[in-house]
Amino acid sequence: MTGSLQATRSAVPAAARPRVNPIQQWWVLTVRMIIPTLRNGELATQIIGSMVFTVGYYLPLKEMMGQVQPLSSYAQYLTPLIILQAIWFAAVSAAFRAATDSVQGINRRFRAMPIPAIMPLASRLTASMYRCCIALVVSVGCGHVIGFRFHGSVLHILGFAGLVLLIGATLAVIGDLIGIASQNPEATAPMMLVPQLTLGLASVGLQPVDRFPDWIQGFVRNQPLSQWVYALQALAGDTTDAAPKVTWAVMTPSLIWAIGAGALAVVLHRIVSRRRR
Amino acid sequence: MARSEKAVVVAGIRKSFGSVAALRDVSFEVERGEVLGLLGPNGAGKTTTVNILSTLITPDSGRALIAGHDVVSDPAGVRRSLMLTGQYAALDDMLTGRENLLMFGRLQGLKKKVAKERAVELLEQFDLEAAADRPVGTYSGGMKRRIDIACGLVVRPEVVFLDEPTTGLDPRSRQAIWELVTDFKEAGIATLLTTQYLEEADLLSDRIVVIDKGTVIAEGTADQLKERTGGTYCEIVPRNMRDLPQVVRVLGPLLPPAIRAALSETSDRISMPAPDGPTTLMAALTKLSEANIELTDIALRRPSLDEVFLALTGDHAPGSDDRTDKFAAVDAYA
Amino acid sequence: MARSSPVQEPVTQAPYRPGGRHRVARVWENSPRRLVPQVLVLTVRILRRWSRDPATLVQSLVMPAGFLIALDIVFGDVIKQVSGQSGLYGQVPLVALVGGMTGAIIGAISVMREREVGLLARFWVVPMHRAGGLLSRMLAEAIRIVVITLVVMGVGMALGFRFHQGVLAAIAWAFMPALFGVALSAAVLTLALFSSSTLVPQATDIVVAVLMFFSIGFVPLDQYPDWLQPFVEHQPVSYTIKAMRGLSLDGPIAEPVLFTVLWSVGIFAVCAVPLAIGYRRASRRG
Repeated sequence: MTGSLQATRSAVPAAARPRVNPIQQWWVLTVRMIIPTLRNGELATQIIGSMVFTVGYYLPLKEMMGQVQPLSSYAQYLTPLIILQAIWFAAVSAAFRAATDSVQGINRRFRAMPIPAIMPLASRLTASMYRCCIALVVSVGCGHVIGFRFHGSVLHILGFAGLVLLIGATLAVIGDLIGIASQNPEATAPMMLVPQLTLGLASVGLQPVDRFPDWIQGFVRNQPLSQWVYALQALAGDTTDAAPKVTWAVMTPSLIWAIGAGALAVVLHRIVSRRRR
Repeated sequence: MARSEKAVVVAGIRKSFGSVAALRDVSFEVERGEVLGLLGPNGAGKTTTVNILSTLITPDSGRALIAGHDVVSDPAGVRRSLMLTGQYAALDDMLTGRENLLMFGRLQGLKKKVAKERAVELLEQFDLEAAADRPVGTYSGGMKRRIDIACGLVVRPEVVFLDEPTTGLDPRSRQAIWELVTDFKEAGIATLLTTQYLEEADLLSDRIVVIDKGTVIAEGTADQLKERTGGTYCEIVPRNMRDLPQVVRVLGPLLPPAIRAALSETSDRISMPAPDGPTTLMAALTKLSEANIELTDIALRRPSLDEVFLALTGDHAPGSDDRTDKFAAVDAYA
Repeated sequence: MARSSPVQEPVTQAPYRPGGRHRVARVWENSPRRLVPQVLVLTVRILRRWSRDPATLVQSLVMPAGFLIALDIVFGDVIKQVSGQSGLYGQVPLVALVGGMTGAIIGAISVMREREVGLLARFWVVPMHRAGGLLSRMLAEAIRIVVITLVVMGVGMALGFRFHQGVLAAIAWAFMPALFGVALSAAVLTLALFSSSTLVPQATDIVVAVLMFFSIGFVPLDQYPDWLQPFVEHQPVSYTIKAMRGLSLDGPIAEPVLFTVLWSVGIFAVCAVPLAIGYRRASRRG
């Protein structure tokens, strides 16, 4: 129909629909998450947050706890926990972003486009990993300042970083899940701060397990944060002999926790987001 | 306030946001008990006008009076007199409908018992009794709009601003709101209705003010506006196309030369201006029947408000040919 | 339709149906007499919202309890060894304060949401006192913090916390966290009104973490390096905790209370004008 509408003036696109490229979609969605943070100060808060956790745990407790821990210095003992807290803080931000998106309904829009269902989650995860990387680098740097050193081989160091990032991914998925499930961005952030501090306190990250009352030692030893701390202490090594050794006995529980919790969170995520039409 | 005073007076309002001139000299008036339709494409300045009149924005210059109160010097008086309801029904969505009504009532000074009774009245009137104790967040779009208006009516206003009240509603809810506007009229409350829907403006408004690009480009009743763009015309469709020249001859002086000249081989009908309305029609009919010409259709037609609107807002596109105007107008209208 | 004549009004009015109780009295909008009931109505609204949101309830009630228990388990013995007193007298106030402060973010962000939805504008157009909205926010925060304090106190008492200074002191003790907590809420809200909503929770979390880690409620003062002790000693959370320790166990009361009041009033004074301007701006549309 030639009609009166000139083709050059039409608002209706005339060209054939382009092929969907998942990689491109993932990149676009991810960049969408990251670019604003460079502008609005989120990057700064991530860095400052990591530093605060380092100083906040180390300085007050150096005296009290320093004597009772087995490694060469309290910094060596404590840094893994600090890193985990910084990673957790990064995951909280991811949760906030997820909840906000969900509430604003943009997820619904994405679902109606030819974007694989996993894509928004994947891009949010990528953005969280970017935050985790920053958290990792900054907190290792702060750890270095207070005296933490790597004593293992390069492989161990890579394993250290890899485990941290794996944990970060898991926490980010969990945070995302909480964000989507609660639909309440406001409450998500403070909701995750206090559990973060509480679990951190009740782990071996601050003091060895035998310092805890008997009745709680089982919980303390086996909770995921403690297992992760053991694994990271093992991978970082120490000048003394007191650090855990890098064996499967030490590594497996932490890997199971990280991968298992992550997988469970992904499954729950699918269920919840499908329900939140 | 004297009985003769107008409900809303707007005179020479200007407002700019940075370098963008949102309103450039807007003036109109609304009588008590009148419904004024504020019509205009998106971005024309309707919502800015409503925001200024409800004391949410201060104008750069000009005057506006609501029920005799100046929006700049006596905003409290303005707030006492008006009720504002907008496109995005703004209520506390975690409170129930009843709790919202109670809250607005008590905020405006009603005693608890009176507020409760008023809430019950309004719930009944707006057909929300069944949902009264559910959080407003669970209401459908139409229900939200109804409870929104109900909350504005807890205490009687003198002027009501309905900012695009039926946008996005189903026809039944639309109907309910239209009936409400008629109720306002009967109660002597002045209504300022902003809308994009021409049929709504046509149906409900006593008068219409057309705003485009921040200024009033036309004002009048729906009929007056329609007259402005060519007015009534009489359409004659002969049964046989070939009879057309004979029709032309028969009509004689009734048909202006311009129309005569515009006819071509493929025309199948004549559109003749009918300045006297039915009288012209009768004259034409008489002549045609005397000449025994068979017709398929003969009727008086008025331009629709759509055409009026497009013509009016199209007029003001930064001068170019007809076709671009239509596109600009269509885009804006959409 | 018959038009009824005006009822009682000396001035001619638009004709209206009988039943004229729905007319607003011609009272000055900012009248103080009307302010109190208006603020109460709005505060009840906010409290109702909170009580219906499970996330807020959990954050306010459950988490501080868990946090206190963890603090007591980890640090209880060590603090007792080092300082000779139970750590609870510092930890219970600290947890109450942390609970109060983290909740401030919730309040601030819900204001932002109400701005977006248009509810703030809606309230602005209602003929009530201009300060009603803000005051109701502050009052709701205060009530929330007192509730958290009481809950944490309950848990603390289960762990061994006791009041040694009498009933009056105990009552004052219960309101101390609210004093500084509301001031901080005002500061957080001011920040939220002038910046992006993603920045505020993170920045506030950091501030809360700093105030928590470097307070005398976490570990005793002498545990900190010398150069840090002045900061730890004089920051507002430490003063509040010190005052509360005096009110429950023993120790100076007047001086720390004074400083707590000074900090709170100081923060209020700094925030008051920007807060009012920001709230007004958020309620209006330009």
